[in-house]
Formats: sequence, structure tokens, C-alpha cells
Amino acid sequence: MASLSPPEEPAAASSYHHRRSKRYPSSTNGVESVPEKRHKISLPPPPPQSISNFISSSEIESEFSHHDPAVARINNGSFGCCPSSIIAVQRDWQLRFLRQPDRFFFDELKPNISASRAVIKRLINAEHDDEVSIVDNATTAAAIVLQQTAWAFREGRFDRGDAVVMLHYAFGSVKKSVEAYVSRSGGEVIEVQLPFPVISAEEIINRFRTGLELGKANGRRVRLALIDHVTSMPSVVIPIKELVKICREEGVDQVFVDAAHGIGCVDVDMKEIGADFYTSNLHKWFFAPPSVAFLYCKRSSGVGGGNLNLHHPVVSHEYGNGLAVESTWVGTRDYSAQLVVPSILEFVNRFEGGIDGIKRRNHESVVEMGQMLVKSWGTQLGCPVEMCASMVMVGLPVCLGVLSENDAVKLRNLLRERFCIEIPTYFRPPGEGETDSITGYVRISFQVYNKPEEYHRLKDAVNELVRDGFKCSSLSD
Amino acid sequence: MAADDHRNGDSTHHHRDPKKPRLSEFLTDSDIQSEFAHHQSGVARINNGSFGCCPSSVLAAQRDWQLRFLRQPDEFYFTGLRRGLLASRAVIKDLINADDVGEVSLLDNATTAAAIVLQRVGRCFSEGKYKKDDTVVMFHCAFQSVKKSIQAYVSRVGGSTVEVRLPFPVNSEEEIVNVFREGLKRGKEDGRTVRLAIIDHITSMPCVLMPVKELVRVCREEGVEEVFVDAAHAIGSVKVDVKEIGADYYVSNLHKWFFCPPSIAFFYCKEGGFESDVHHPVVSHEFGNGLAVESAWIGTRDYSSQLVVPSVMEFVKRFEGGIDGIMKRNHDEAVRMGLMLCDAWGTNLGSPPEMCVGMVMIGLPSKLCVGSDDDGVKLRAYLRVHRLVEVPVYFLGLRDGEEGVKDKDGGVITAYVRISHQVYNETGDYERLRDAITELVKDQTTCKNLPPV
Repeated sequence: MASLSPPEEPAAASSYHHRRSKRYPSSTNGVESVPEKRHKISLPPPPPQSISNFISSSEIESEFSHHDPAVARINNGSFGCCPSSIIAVQRDWQLRFLRQPDRFFFDELKPNISASRAVIKRLINAEHDDEVSIVDNATTAAAIVLQQTAWAFREGRFDRGDAVVMLHYAFGSVKKSVEAYVSRSGGEVIEVQLPFPVISAEEIINRFRTGLELGKANGRRVRLALIDHVTSMPSVVIPIKELVKICREEGVDQVFVDAAHGIGCVDVDMKEIGADFYTSNLHKWFFAPPSVAFLYCKRSSGVGGGNLNLHHPVVSHEYGNGLAVESTWVGTRDYSAQLVVPSILEFVNRFEGGIDGIKRRNHESVVEMGQMLVKSWGTQLGCPVEMCASMVMVGLPVCLGVLSENDAVKLRNLLRERFCIEIPTYFRPPGEGETDSITGYVRISFQVYNKPEEYHRLKDAVNELVRDGFKCSSLSD
Repeated sequence: MAADDHRNGDSTHHHRDPKKPRLSEFLTDSDIQSEFAHHQSGVARINNGSFGCCPSSVLAAQRDWQLRFLRQPDEFYFTGLRRGLLASRAVIKDLINADDVGEVSLLDNATTAAAIVLQRVGRCFSEGKYKKDDTVVMFHCAFQSVKKSIQAYVSRVGGSTVEVRLPFPVNSEEEIVNVFREGLKRGKEDGRTVRLAIIDHITSMPCVLMPVKELVRVCREEGVEEVFVDAAHAIGSVKVDVKEIGADYYVSNLHKWFFCPPSIAFFYCKEGGFESDVHHPVVSHEFGNGLAVESAWIGTRDYSSQLVVPSVMEFVKRFEGGIDGIMKRNHDEAVRMGLMLCDAWGTNLGSPPEMCVGMVMIGLPSKLCVGSDDDGVKLRAYLRVHRLVEVPVYFLGLRDGEEGVKDKDGGVITAYVRISHQVYNETGDYERLRDAITELVKDQTTCKNLPPV
């Protein structure tokens, strides 16, 4: 993400400030560099269980009452959320370590990480416990898989110039990781351009096939296909099962699915999907505190002999004991976020249908809200509704004049500062010959704490800008 | 504060040195116990060296940061986070006498720093800059994670290693410098170049304060390409002046002796490491912007432990003499307790007092018959479970021909305990250890017949 200008910028933005304070209570300005004292932020105790089996609306509100109440927080996709019951459990774990760290290290840490791994293994339908490693985040998982690929190039198991195929919409960090590990060790990177807006899964499948053919040109091998399960920006659910199948048909060595948005967002079934490597953050859509992710490695995978060829880049005394064990100790750390996973399962099971019920309702709600916005703004969704999960791209009115990535960033700032709405924006460059196409999109998320009025606020804010004849070009950098 | 005074032009106004609060502002013993009330009571926690400690005021500051993120994470990401990290880095830069804040990166721990340095060395071998069998030289007691990291990144690509045996028990700095110089010479045999020397500022097990400035000087004399000082225990234990020490890379954990919560380390790279091509292994969109910037974002994480460094400075100022006063008192008490123990047991210290910090190695009575690493582990577990004493035990395997040091009973001392002293410790903690060992000896218990845990 491009770095943004801080809120206290002069000129155009400031003229909106008085309107903000009139309409909405001011939230933190982020000016100070120490925690602000005026918000005595304390966590409420976890709410008592209601009489009925399922969690009630007011209990849900209570679980997320630490969220800034002034903000329409419709960007769960970026940083996720964590209910106060889970934060309380995490604090317990932190205190257990602080209380007697040696004993915790020797007696408690490993078995409890194993317990978390066991829960994840069941949730994702993995075959064996040792296929599941817990790491900090998908960014770390990418480094692990790509480091393995780099070794294969360096040690001559792959030929220089052999290809790694990835989507053009891959996450920025992952692209850099590919540069750092693959390009640097002699691999060639092929980016598959995907259409956006997306009309059908077929489009994506066809473009991907073309990308693989390019990868195989001149007798090269495609050593790794790196595919998002749900792209970040612009956000679309990729037909991952079909793409993995094609990879097998086309002789791709390994398939790595980056599902940062996977668990709690889409169906995550390792056997069905069939990838060699699959990673997903739990702190985005699975209510974990920052930060915890899993990296699944199919047992039969790994160049030159199984999982023993994958290593955590932070090497500790566990080196050589398999990735899952290596990942249980990467030096002294706060492992508490990794230990709350069993408690999260308890939390989601308080919802009707458990995590599946949550996914389904999030999807229905985000589609409903997306269609509401599209209708009001006269625009379109970025994909068919069956190709979104709990996030959807919604076109912004053309008259706002989003003409560059910088415009999109400035508009995002404006929405945050003036309207207290947190939402990421996306610039879609017009295609050749296109006139008057939609060039600006927002990505709305829906999670259990969201309410329709937050999306109505967004609707109204944008309509107000349209009425005022607002153009992004009027915003200073 | 000072600026205001000067503007007022009032020469009679005595500006109070921020290092010296009024006497009544210093923490009392009961304040200190309160700050560490979350430690398990009833345990003689004399192992600060392994996992450190964090006072409740700093934990409270950490929680504020955590809640700030949870409250509105996007806003925090775009505004508060980098500023907070920079504030921590600025405090550290001043503490360690670095020239520029760009030379100071924040990492999770020293283990991560080792991976960074060794990955870079590994790339140099892979890319042909270093010749096959060029060497990495280190002490044999280097931390196990570091040794594995060398295996993973250097040995794998054809680099060779030379291990220098640390003399222990040790009697003088000279012994260490001499044996190190020999090791460097071995590393240069047969036309090889020593590409990296890894030196602990304070070794972990056995624990000794190394003459690090001297050792770096010897490295330069002997043409070593780069020097990496692994100072996991240093900050808050001993004065750290990176310019004086003169290493290329220097890392220290702040969660051990500098009251930070787990986990945070600073990693100093002379001149920001831009030329030496060091990178964080967890690559993010900041790749290529310099290690300090790369390390400031390695994906979504809880960065709160890296943000409390200014709050820790506030905490240490509440002690007389600040961090310097704490270091001195920890050293003096650790030595005093160490002498008390070796007197009671009839054994020895592992190094002279000037080669100790807030940690001291004390020989265990030979009658305990610690004959292996396993015995050491068993004894440690016994002490933890049956005596509520937390202290690490080190088994000293003697090599052929080595006589070893004898205790008052005439037996060879084969094991040491490493005691730590931090502000929360009390004399009673060490007396509990003293009595536990004395009783084992009296009851003729050895490692072979310890009660099961």
C-alpha cells in the first residue's frame, strides 16, 4: 500500500474538518506518538452467556465494543477483528508466560501449540498433523515456500530460467518475496493478467491457462504456480479448484495457494483443493488476535523429499525437525495469539451454523449491501455475486474522477477524515478504447459486527460528494 | 524543560536533571514487588537471563498500544505505527551511541538477527563472492540457534566453520583473546578467508562477559571480513557503545534485561547495512528500502512490544542512577550472592567478578555427580518442581587430559548454576538455592537418585 499523508495536512482537506466535527464525534487523530490518554480504553469483561443457545445481537455488540464507535468499519478484510472474549483468553496466555516463563517454555508451550494445530487440521480437512505449521502470517508463509523454491534453483534442481507463474493481482508483499527469492536465484516470473471487472470464472481459467503456456514456452518447466484463493485488490474469489487441476494437467511442479483471506471467508478444504501449499491468516476472518496463520504442506510435496525441505527462515535449535516443529520455536516470542485457536472454535460455535453460518450470512449481507450501493450510485459490482465471499468490489460514480492510484488513496483519506468511514479504494485503469468506464471502486467487507447503517453512511457520503460536484483532482497530496 | 529555562533567562532556576528524580520519586522495595506481582509467588526466580521480565507499568503501556490497533487498525497502520517505532528506535540509538537512527532496526529477537546476517553470508557464497570453504569463526559455546543458522545458511552452501573453545572456568580476558586469535589463524589456513566472526558480548552458557572490544580489534588485525556481535544479554546488563565496539553487526534483546515484554531486539548495522545487502527474511512490500524500513513492516503483526521502549525509559528513571544504577546493583548483588554460594558449597565462580554482569556461574558440589547434560536437566527440573527454584544448570564436559577444578571435597567440579539478579530478586531467593543444594549433599543424593518430578 502506498504510504498516505498524515491527517494534519493543510489546504483542501482542512475545509472539511468543521463539517466532520459537526456531524460525527471526532476519533483519534493519530497525532501523538504515545497511547492517547483521553481515551481510557479498557476492555469490558466478556458478556455473560445468553439464555438461548446462540449469541445475541447485543452480545455481539459487546464483544466488539472496543472498536471505535464513531467509525463505519467496513474494511474487515485488511486487518480483521478480535472479540473481547478471545482477547481475554489471549491475556491469560500472556500472563501464564510472564508468571513463570521457564516452566511455560518447558511444559506448556509445545502441547498447546499442538492443540491449536489439531483444531486447524480438522477445520481444513488436512490428512496429518505435521502438514499444519503455525506461522505469523501469510507473508511469512510465502517466504517459507519461496525460499524452498530458491534453494532448488541455487542447488541446480531447477534450471535457470524455469518459470514461476503468479497472478498479476497477487499481493504486493508476495510479489516482492518472489523477486527476493525467485528472481534473485535465477527463476523467471510470469504474471497472469486477469480481467477486472470479472464476468465469469471461465475468463479467469482461460487467462490462467494462457499464462501457463507462456511459462512452458521454449521447453521450460513451470516449477511453481502461486495463486490467490481470494485476491486482495481488486477482490475476487478465484476458481481455485479448477486452476489447481489445470496445473496438474500442465505438469506444474508445485502449487502454492495464498489464501490470506481464506479461513472464515471461503471454504477451505485441503483435500478438495489439492494444492501442495496453502496458507491463510486466522486474524482476518477467523477472529484471532494479531497475528496467527497456518501453512499447510501436503505430505507428499516438497522438492527432493517431503516437508523436510521446507524451513522456517528464522532458524532455531529445532532446525531439521520438520517445518511444523521448527515453527513452534523461532526464539523468544509472544506466542499467545497462536494459543487461542481452540477458544476461537468455542466462540464461533456460539453462532448459528458455526463458522459456516457466519460465512454464509456475511456473504448474503455483503451482496445485499453491495447491490444497495450499486443501485444508489448507478454503478456495478466488480464481479458476479457467486465470485465474492465476504468482500465485494463496488464501482464508484464516474463523476468523482478517480483517475490514478493517488486519487484513490486521497479519496480513502477523505472518507476516513471527513466521514469517519474506513474503506479501501481501488483504481482500475481504463482499458484501451474505453471511455467513461468506472475507474474507481471501493471494497466493502461484512463481518458479524457490521450493521447496514454503516453502508448507508457510505452511500450517503458518496452521494453527497457527487451532489457537491466533487472531483479527486481537488484534493491535495 | 531545559529549553524553557533558557528562554526565561532565569539563571537561578535549577533545571532538574531528568535522570535524578527527587529521592521520594524513586521506587521503593514494595513498589518494585508490586511491579512484578504477576510473577509466580513462592518461586525463587533466579533465571532472569533466559526469558527476562516485564514490569506491570510497561505491560499496561503495551496494552494501550494493542488496544489502539484493535480499535481502528487501519488508522493505526497509516499513522501511529511507524511514528511509534521510530520513537523506540531513537531511544535505542541514543542508548547505544549509534550515529544515525537508520542504523537501528527493530526485530523480534537475536535469533532473527542471526538469520539475517547468515542469509547474507550464504548469498555471498552462492553468488560466488566468497570461495568454497572460506570460514565463519565462532566460539564453541555460541547459542545453539546460531549454530543451526550457520548450518542452514553457510555450511549448506560450502562455507566452513571453525569453533573456538572458550576456556572455562576462565581467569582472565587474555586467555580468551589468545585462544580466539588462534582460532582466526586456523580459519585462514590453506589460503582461506575468514568471512565472518561471530562473537558473543556475554556468552549464554557458560556465562562470561567477553572482552568484545579487544576481540573485534583482533578480528580487524587478522583481516576478518565482517564481525557480528551476538549481544543477546547486553542491553541493560552492560554498557553498550556500538561505535567503541566497532562491529559491523550488533544485536541485543530488550526483553531480557531491559524490561520490555516479549519480544523485541535491536539490530545495529554500521551505516544502515545498505551496502552489505542485508534483508529481513520475511519479505514485504518494503523490500529494498533498507533493513530498518523492511523490519518495520513484516506483515500484520502485534508490534506493541516494539512500541513501549519510551515507556521503559520512564520506568528505569524511577530507579536511582537509572539503567546504569540498575546494572551496577545487579552486578554487585549477583557477585555477592555468587560468593555466598561458593563459600557455602566449597566451590568456585566460573569467572572473576569483573567478567560477570548481572549473571554469575557458580560451581556445584562434585558430590552431586552431575555426569552429563541429562543429569543437568534432571537437576534443574528437581529444583523447579521440588524446591521452587528456577535456575539453569550447565554441565561442563571435560576433555581428555583436562584436570578440571576441584571443590573443597577434592572432587572435580563438573557442573555450574547460572544465577541472575534483577531488580525483583531478594537475598532469600539465593538462600533457597543454597539450602536446596546443601541438603542434597547432606542427604547424599546425587543426580542418579533424585526424586522423580
